[in-house]
This record gives sequence, C-alpha cells and structure tokens, in this order.
Amino acid sequence: MKKTLLVPILGFLILAICTFYYLNPSPEKKTKQKKIADEVFTTQTFFKNEIVDKNNLGDFYIVNFFASWCKPCLAEHPLLMAMKEKGIKIIGINFRDDEENFTTWINENGNPFEYIIRDDGTIAYKMGLIGVPETYFITNDEITNKIQGPLFYEDVEKYL
Amino acid sequence: MLFISSALAEDTALIDYYKSIRCLVCDGQNILESDTEFSVNLKEQIKKKFENGLSIEEINNELISIYGEEISFKPSSNHYLLWTSPFILLLLVFFLIRKKYF
Repeated sequence: MKKTLLVPILGFLILAICTFYYLNPSPEKKTKQKKIADEVFTTQTFFKNEIVDKNNLGDFYIVNFFASWCKPCLAEHPLLMAMKEKGIKIIGINFRDDEENFTTWINENGNPFEYIIRDDGTIAYKMGLIGVPETYFITNDEITNKIQGPLFYEDVEKYL
Repeated sequence: MLFISSALAEDTALIDYYKSIRCLVCDGQNILESDTEFSVNLKEQIKKKFENGLSIEEINNELISIYGEEISFKPSSNHYLLWTSPFILLLLVFFLIRKKYF
C-alpha cells in the first residue's frame, strides 16, 4: 500500500470517530446530575404544609418544574393529569412565580401534583435547570431520564 | 440602559464574572446582557453565593460541575490535543510526501 494513501484514510477515520461521538453523546453527559437536590425533601410543600414524604412516593416518581407564566407547561398539563390518574406521584416545583397567579392557575387547570414546592430559583440552580417546563424521571432515588421542554405523548406513553 | 444602571450597583468583579457565563437559552449572549428567566435566576444565585463569602473561583467550579463546561466562555486549558492536532496532521503529511516533492 502506498504511504500517501494513509493521509486520506487517517483523516477520514478521525472525522468518522469525531462525528460518531458528536452525534451520540454518552448518557452521562446528558444528565450530569444523578440525584434530586436535598432541598426538595426539606422544604415545606405549599398546599399540604408538610415535608415531602419519601415513603409515600414509592420507587418511581416524577419531578416537574412548572410556572403559571409558562405556556408550554399548559400544553403538557393533560399528560401530567393522566399520569396522576394512573397513580404516578408527581412533585411539582413552581419556579419563580407569583403566588396569586399560581393558585389561580392550579384552580383553573387542575392539580396533578402530589406535592408542590414553591422555589425562588435555588432548587432550580442546584438541579441545573435551563428553563420551564423540565421533567425528571426518578427510579430508586436516581434520575433515570430528564426531558427539557414540554412532555409529549411518546415520552410518557409507557406510563399511561 | 436599565441593565447597565442596575448592574453598576453591583461589585465590578461580579459583573466581570457574569460576562464570562453563557446564557444557555440565548444565542451567544452572556448572562449580564440577557434578561431571560434563566439568566436572571443565575445572576441572583451567583450574587447570593458571592455575598455569603464564596470566591468567584469556588462559584465557577460549582457552576461547571452543575451545568458542564459549556456554561463558561472561558474553557479550561486542557485542550492541547485539539489545538495542536492541525499542526501534527500537517507535519504528518509533510513527512509522508517528502520524497515525492522535496
């Protein structure tokens, strides 16, 4: 084999490897956070005035960041309601919201959440939130899936 | 003009630091320039930590551990391979074709 042939082959290989890793980032890179922030389990919840009871949640639960000013949250709301009816416990974290707007929003659209925590941004910062809505799927206290932006039927199909 | 006047009240070290943090939901803006909920919250959290006595470096390390390196406009310097790879490839090519042309 000619030595000059080595250059394009080597170049192609490097390009192929880089493209492969660019298109398939490792799952650890997607969710850097493995655990839910401790504040979720130490902050008083809004309607019930108690702390989140881990035993009540079970092995699988969902943490959902939402706000009344957020339109995409309204779009995913029916899916959350459907999951509640299937018995899945959802912790709602109300991100930087006005209390009055938030209670009206819940009264108008229904409450799919087992617990609601009002957050001034501290929990969101610890969880690495980029924007609302954002949803974390938690199995045995570990984040197994994270969806940024509104949920679609395909995302939660297996739970319905 | 509003963001400039409100930012002036803050520590200049903090303002310089805001300039080096990327707003992840904007196109190429830093969090000082941006008024998105993401940037406003990040500025609040950073300011709170700074006032609690954490140094900029400690805050930066925490931020990178949460959001990853893409949050910062200043990458850490361990990218030597990336920067030197074009020169290495160029030398390799010269080495392989040296007999034909030189």
